[in-house]
Amino acid sequence: MSAARGATRLAERALPALVIVFFVLAWELVVRARGIAPIYLPAPSAIALYFGRMVADGSLPANLGVTVLRIFAGFAVAALAGVGLGVLMGMSRLAARIADPWIAALYPLPKIALIPLLLIWLGTGEAYKIVISAITAFFPIVISAYAGIREVDRGLIKAAQDLGASARQIQLKVVIPAAIPSIFAGLHLGMGVTIILVIAAEMIGGSSQSGMGYLLMQAGQVMETEKVFADLVALAVFGALVIKLQQWIDRKVAPWTAYRDGH
Amino acid sequence: MDVIVEEVTQVWPGRGGADIVALERFTHRFASRRFSCLLGPSGCGKSTLLQIVGGLEPATSGKVRIVDPARPREPRAPGAGSVMVWQSLNLFPWRSVLDNVAFGLEMQGMPRRERRERARALVASVGLTGFEDYLPGQLSGGMRQRVALARALVLERPILLMDEPFAALDAQTKIIMQEELAHIFDRTHKTVLFVTHAIEEAIFLGDEVIVMSARPGRIKEVLAVDLPRPRTPEMVSTPAFAALFDRAFHLIREEVMTSMAQQAAALSAP
Repeated sequence: MSAARGATRLAERALPALVIVFFVLAWELVVRARGIAPIYLPAPSAIALYFGRMVADGSLPANLGVTVLRIFAGFAVAALAGVGLGVLMGMSRLAARIADPWIAALYPLPKIALIPLLLIWLGTGEAYKIVISAITAFFPIVISAYAGIREVDRGLIKAAQDLGASARQIQLKVVIPAAIPSIFAGLHLGMGVTIILVIAAEMIGGSSQSGMGYLLMQAGQVMETEKVFADLVALAVFGALVIKLQQWIDRKVAPWTAYRDGH
Repeated sequence: MDVIVEEVTQVWPGRGGADIVALERFTHRFASRRFSCLLGPSGCGKSTLLQIVGGLEPATSGKVRIVDPARPREPRAPGAGSVMVWQSLNLFPWRSVLDNVAFGLEMQGMPRRERRERARALVASVGLTGFEDYLPGQLSGGMRQRVALARALVLERPILLMDEPFAALDAQTKIIMQEELAHIFDRTHKTVLFVTHAIEEAIFLGDEVIVMSARPGRIKEVLAVDLPRPRTPEMVSTPAFAALFDRAFHLIREEVMTSMAQQAAALSAP
């Protein structure tokens, strides 16, 4: 019985990795057996080769580095502005009244539609890429922060009041900590759209000569499909790392969210 | 501290303009060092009364005064000298057990070392030594209940307001918590207002049981509980206990029926 259970646990651990290995192998075999042209679908081995070359000649690390910097710059602007305004709206009815129509009007607007305008105003430099990604990430962040503050359990506020907390203490010691899970959820969403928008901006900007979006476009235009795949692999790994990092920060800063029914 | 409630009425604006009278002309003197249980059907305004006494909700009309029997001429406003233990506990999920218990002291501006020391003693007194650094979410229902109790007791306020604190606990844990509360009362002799809809609990804990009517909540009868202290679980099977239970049961039965009829009517109303 316990041996069977041990085997099940081993299978649970090993199987996901085995499925990936199997998938890559099947891909390699199908490409080779059918003789598929690399410009349509390169074999994993070819992609790995290009990946290695791009790492060795420095083009992948350099462009990924530039993109990552842009992502974090855009995200930092959006996070500061979004959390700041969201918290302010949650605490001041006046601020919420003033900001609400703007958010309601601008949130549904596809932010990519702003690219032509931003290119006119800011040119094709760094400012444009950071601004477009920050604007996009700002909305989910501000909306989640506002909702988090507004939806704080009234019972906690009353309990704090009963225990002698002043209005200011309630804001700082109860409302803000209680809103943290919601604020973090907004930051996760914001990070996701920042990545999308920075890559898109690098593709569309045209004149910029760096970044993963630029690298992808360039490789695509000359049909170096192996390079395209190598770029995609790098982006996928980067995305996975960002998600892991966010989960780690969540656990460090807000460990109580792991327990449902916490109060 | 005496809690003197005079003609307190609480009206909520209801749907469709029909106001709901939660409490009607409630008058009672909750005497110092007495354990008073408020027993009534759901919706009879018992919790509302606690909130009014705790200064967390203004009454529509009527008056609540907090009076030190030694200084009868200096009444204080509701909320003075009281602290609440909530049915939903309302522990702060991001704070450890110790920091939850120390919350009130922290708000008063007590230095960290001192408040943690005081909180530690209270955590020990409710039997949670070793769990100081746990988060509420990691504890069982009974343990969380103890944290909530310690968080209120650490402030050493003379009036303890308890709103169905044990309603969510399983039967065994409930019995143990009732006994512990009785012990705490014997040690500290606070003025306790304890809301419940469990008859046995009201008699086991209380010096008096205030039976309330269905909405609008009024006092139907005040039963004096003259069982000796300290209370023990064996008392539950004595004839005196049974007689009190019987009396309370008959009083409350009618009110629960009325309350159920009211709720059914409210549900079927257009």
